[in-house]
This record gives sequence, C-alpha cells and structure tokens, in this order.
Amino acid sequence: MEEMRKLKVMVYEDYIDAVIQSLGHAGIVQLIDMREIPEDWEGVLVPYTASTEAIAKCSDLLSKIETAFESLHIQPNDFPSPEIPITNEPIEKVLAGVEQKLAELPIEEIKIYALASRIDHIIDDLGIKPEEVEKEYALTQSEEKELEHIEFELIELDKTIESSGLANHQILVERIESKHLDDYDEIGIKFAELAKFVIKSQRYFGKRLVSLKKTVEEIEGTIETEINFEEVRDNLLTLWKIVEEEKRIAEEEDKFVRSAKTVFFEAWVPESRDKEAVERIMKASDGNAIIADKPPTPDEKVPIITHECPSYLQAFGKLECAYGYPSSGDIDPIRVFAITFPILFGIMFADVAQGAIFVIAGIIFTLLRRNGKTTKGGDIIRYLLISGEMLIYIGISAIFFGFIFGEFFGPSGVIHPIFLFRIGPFQIGGFEPTQEPMMMLKFAILVGAIHISLGLILKFINELRHKHYKLSPIPICCIWLLFGGLFMWAYWGGISNISKWFAEGSLMFVGLVVLPLLVILVVTGLAEGFMEGIGFTVEVFAETLSHSMSYSRLMALGLVHSAMNYLFLVLGGVEHGVFPLQSIPLIAIGTILVMIIEGLVVFVHTLRLHWVEWFSKFHSGEGIPFKPFKST
Amino acid sequence: MDPILISLIGLALAIGVPILSAAITIIICGTALAGVGTEKPELLSRLIITVVLGEALAIYGLLIAFMLLGKLPDITTMDAANMALISGIIISVATVSAGAGISYSGSSLIAATAENPETFSSNVIGVVLSEALAIYGLLIAFMVIGQI
Repeated sequence: MEEMRKLKVMVYEDYIDAVIQSLGHAGIVQLIDMREIPEDWEGVLVPYTASTEAIAKCSDLLSKIETAFESLHIQPNDFPSPEIPITNEPIEKVLAGVEQKLAELPIEEIKIYALASRIDHIIDDLGIKPEEVEKEYALTQSEEKELEHIEFELIELDKTIESSGLANHQILVERIESKHLDDYDEIGIKFAELAKFVIKSQRYFGKRLVSLKKTVEEIEGTIETEINFEEVRDNLLTLWKIVEEEKRIAEEEDKFVRSAKTVFFEAWVPESRDKEAVERIMKASDGNAIIADKPPTPDEKVPIITHECPSYLQAFGKLECAYGYPSSGDIDPIRVFAITFPILFGIMFADVAQGAIFVIAGIIFTLLRRNGKTTKGGDIIRYLLISGEMLIYIGISAIFFGFIFGEFFGPSGVIHPIFLFRIGPFQIGGFEPTQEPMMMLKFAILVGAIHISLGLILKFINELRHKHYKLSPIPICCIWLLFGGLFMWAYWGGISNISKWFAEGSLMFVGLVVLPLLVILVVTGLAEGFMEGIGFTVEVFAETLSHSMSYSRLMALGLVHSAMNYLFLVLGGVEHGVFPLQSIPLIAIGTILVMIIEGLVVFVHTLRLHWVEWFSKFHSGEGIPFKPFKST
Repeated sequence: MDPILISLIGLALAIGVPILSAAITIIICGTALAGVGTEKPELLSRLIITVVLGEALAIYGLLIAFMLLGKLPDITTMDAANMALISGIIISVATVSAGAGISYSGSSLIAATAENPETFSSNVIGVVLSEALAIYGLLIAFMVIGQI
C-alpha cells in the first residue's frame, strides 16, 4: 500500500484560488478540514470567511441559472457536460464575469420562441387547422399562464376520455364479442357523446390556441436580433458548470484558516504525487507559499487509497466496507474473507441440490450483470446482480459440505456422508449432523478455532507492519491459548469432566492455558502498564471462550437447515432416497422457503461471525478512504 | 402426571415462547427500521440484521421443538419427560432474554446509525452479543435433549 504524506501549506491570499484550482485539476490531494482540528490553529489563526461569501454568491447565481433552465424547459443533466475554460483568476472575478454574461443572454426572447414551439406542438397534436378556426378569443392573462392552463385542461380531457370506458380496448372487444344488443346501443351512445365532446373541445381549444399563437407571433415580430436557441442553451450550460465548479472550490476553501494576509491549509497526498503537488503549489502561487512536507505521525488517522475491487470480489468488498475500511497500513482481508465466507456459509447450508441451485442462480445473475443490466430493477434485484459471483462460491461450498454431510434436499438418503479424515476426536465428514449432533458441535468448534486463529495470524502481521514489536507476541499467545483450551477439551472432556482438568491434567492446564495468559499479562504489562495488562488478560480469556463458543451456531443453524428440509421430506413421503412423484411440489415449496428464509438467516449469521468474531481480531474498520479533490 | 403430557408442555414452550419473543423483537425493530427506511433507504441493507437476528430466535425454538418431537416416542419415564420440559424452559428463557436485548439495542442501533452511519460497526456489538445469549441457551437445551 502506498504511503501518504502530509502537506502543511501557507499561501499569500491573492494566490489561494489559483493554488486550489491547480491542485483540483491534478486531483491528487485530499484537503483536511481545519474546522475539525481547532487545537492545531486556534488562538493563532481565524477561519477563512471569504469562501463563505463566495458560496452564497454561487448559490444565488445557480438559482438564477436554474430558473432560466426551467422557463426554457431544459433539463441540464440531459446534455453532455461542456468544456469549461481553465482560469487562474480569483473566484470573485470569475463570478462577476458569469453574472455579466448571464445578464447579456437573451433569455426573455428565447422564452417566447420556446412558447411558440410548444403551441405549435399542441396544435399539431390535436389536429387543429388554424385556417378553419373562425372566432376570436380574448386572452385574459399572460401568454405563458394561458398556455399552462391549456396544457392542464388537456390532461383533464385525457382523463375524461379514459374514464369513459371506451379507451380500454380490451373491455370494448370483450363486450362486442359477448354480442348483447343492449351493449351495442350503450356503446354507440357513448361513442356519439365522446365524439361530440372531443369535437367541442377541439373547437374550444382551437380558438384559444390560435389566438395565443397570434399574440406570440406578434411579440416574436418585435424581436430584431437573430437568436440561436442552441447557442444560448450551450452558453447557459457552460455558465452553470463554471458556477458549480467555483462553488465546489469555495466549499473546499471553507475548510481553511487564515492570518491577516495568508491562508493556511493542510492536505494529504500520496507519496508518488508529492513532488508534483509541491511544484503545482509553488507555480500557481508564483513562489509566494511556504510548504512543510512531512510523513504522518503514528497517532494520526491517515486516509488509505482504496482500489476498485475486481468484479469477482465485488460483493465481498461491499460487505467488508459496510463494516469499515481497513486502517492505514493494515492488511486488506478481502481475499481471505472471500474464502472463509463461503466455507462458513456452506457448513450451515450444506446441501448438494440447493447448492447447485445457488450456483445456477449465481451464473445467471453474473451473466446478466456483465451484460450491463445492473441499473434496471429495484434494490433487491440490484443486490442479487452484484452478488452473482458470491452466490456461485457459496453454492460450490454448499455442494461440497452437502457431500460431506450427506444432504440432498435435506437428509433424504440419496447421498451418504463422505468421510474425509479425523483429527483426534474431531471427525471431518462421514456423519449426519441430525443423527450425531455432538460430532457436529465438535466440528463447528474446530472450524471456529481455525477461523479465529487465521484472524490472529493477520493481527500478528498487522502488528509487525505497524512495527509494534512489543505487542506482536500477543496474537501468538492467543493462538496458543485457543488451541491449548481446545486440546484440553478434546483430551479430558468438557464440563462434565472439568474436575480432571485440575487433577490429572493440572500440569497440562498450566502449560496450555495459564502460561499463555501469563505471557500476555507480562507483555501487555511491560508495554502499557500493569493494570492495563490485567484488564486485557481477563478480556482475552473471556473473548477466547465466548468467541469459540459462538461458532457453535455453525452446528445449530446447520441442524436447523437440515431439520427444516427434513420436515418437507416427511410431508412429501420421501423414504430411503426415493422421491415419489407427488412429493415434488412439496419439496419445491420447501426448497423455496428454506432457500429464502434459511438463506437469509444463514447469510446474516455468517456475516456476523466475520464482523464480530473475526474482524474484531485484526480489522479495525476505522480507515478513511482517500478522496482527492478533483475539478472537472 | 403423564410423561407424554409433560414433554408436550415442554415442546409447546419450546416453540411458543421463542416465536413470541421473535415477534416482539421484529415488531420493535421492524417499526424502527421502517421509520429510518423512509429517510435513509441506503442504510436498510445493513440494518436489516436486527430483524433477521430476531427471526432467528423463532428458528432456534423450532429446532428444539423439532428435536423434542423426534424424541417423543422414547419418552416413557418421568425423568425423560422432565428433561424435555426443562429443555423447553431453557430455550424459552434464553430466547426471551436475547429478544429483549435485540429489541432494545436493535432499535437504538437503528436510530443511532440513521444519525451517524459510522457508529454502526461498534454499535452492532450490542445486538449480536444479545443474540449470542440465545445460542448459549440453545446449546444447553440441545445437550439436555441429548441425555433423553
């Protein structure tokens, strides 16, 4: 991961806008909000208020431009963003220029043109022939208001036609097909009424529209200069972009502080762009700047450069970031996370058939997403599309553990558990969880211990990366304690044999449980003080115990999954791996139910095991992503 | 008393009480979630954890009830019937406690996250630790059934 450096810059106030614009074009620095760290400057400097005035001015101009857009019926976001000229002028000057240009634009005239084209559009739509309209109509209000009224009344007219029941084509066809004479009469009368209504309203609107057109054309005639609508629109768009840009710069500058004649700010910059940033500041300020360029102090929160996740890890990236970004210098655990997550999910959701459904669904979602269909559909569809690859991984894992525990749509007997190997009392595979729950519990705790120790190894690496050599033995001692306790449990037995731990097994107990705790106590005591050492040791002991116990949910949810499937197998009358024909709909309903409800519960529990038991070991989630200030 | 009747009372407790606590948890967290969802829908996917963990309580009850149902034919003595009753009581008490924890810390988590989304990762601990209580109960209830 790339190192960051901190720039402390003091610039003569006349050059501050040029400096920020130059840095914004390069997009290489993240400006630090000085208002959040008053202890660094209070008493010496004051907040930079010039920017607050500029922001107000920008908002004012923006609202004027947006009103112009509205009256010209332009959606600014529908057009490609225009190129704006690069300038080194101060904000006040740029804004004054914009204001002047805005006043010069022939917006009122353009409004009349827009009005005329809207009137023509409606006249065409209604099929009115202006030469056939006889009577005059006296306009009672402004042209624009009149047109708005007409448009509103037309919408009402559409609604009336719709509510007559004749607009619905299908109903009409159905009624004609049913061939009731009365119906024909009724429809005929309705048709006649509607036709009368439409003709009447056509006359009524024709009268109004034609008079309106005339008035507007008269006004049009008084306009002398040639106006190009597109040119005005483009100019307006450019002004809009310039003001937006200036507003963003002013908002960034709002983070600064100042003395009488200088402005002071701090910024993060990646080490590789450090020289470029310094050069840009010096060049833009004509050398009127003082720059201190330092590496961050150890207790500072340094932003991290986040990389775009590869698409096959996208879903895991989102889950990890939902917890928090890794702190600066920490390992990004996404690749390990992408392996352990499906494994834990698969243990709880072990089933060959349902795993295969997950894989198929995952492949479909992935293909849909890669064909660029992410934006369509609601939130849930979007999540499913993003998690396409993840569904494939968890499906494969579910299939694997389905073979190990012998599950095919539940314990149906189609597949027999496959025995892999045995480590002491821990058997991997070769048993049905519902038949031998204690075996499953042992398996779950073993998986938990391995998972936790993986987290502790990552913590060890993090401690080394941060050069916390004094604290680095702690994760190793935690692993020692974890596996020591596990060995004691496996060797002497659980709670019912606890007395043996302190009798025959006392020496072993001292070596495997007491000793690592003592080492942790001494190490923390030496590094942070004796009282902290005691507190931390007690915490480690309690945490190790409760976190490993927590993995028993692998067993509990695995059994729940198996039991829920078994329920539908019994209802469907499935015996010894034979699925009778009538059982298929029941199994289908059961599978859908289990996959949705159980799938969600298992997913949340897998996430919880990672967020709470695993991330708490090494992943603080307190990192801030590096978001450089970039102008367009 | 008839051993079967006692075991059936245990079974009824094992399924009824967890479902009730799950319902109360979902009522409390679900309404809070709906309120936040209107303001900040982007947080819903994260905060849904509270409702799902509440729902899980009912599933634990279901599991124990299901296991008791499977054991019913083996329950002939009073000792076995008592064990069935006790396992029902254990899972009931455990899920009620977990439900209370999730409801309170869950609704506070939702409100706090809406105010400041960065606090989510530390505040979620309250919810998941409450949920762990149910797992402890489940484990012991499970072991008691294993003794029948």
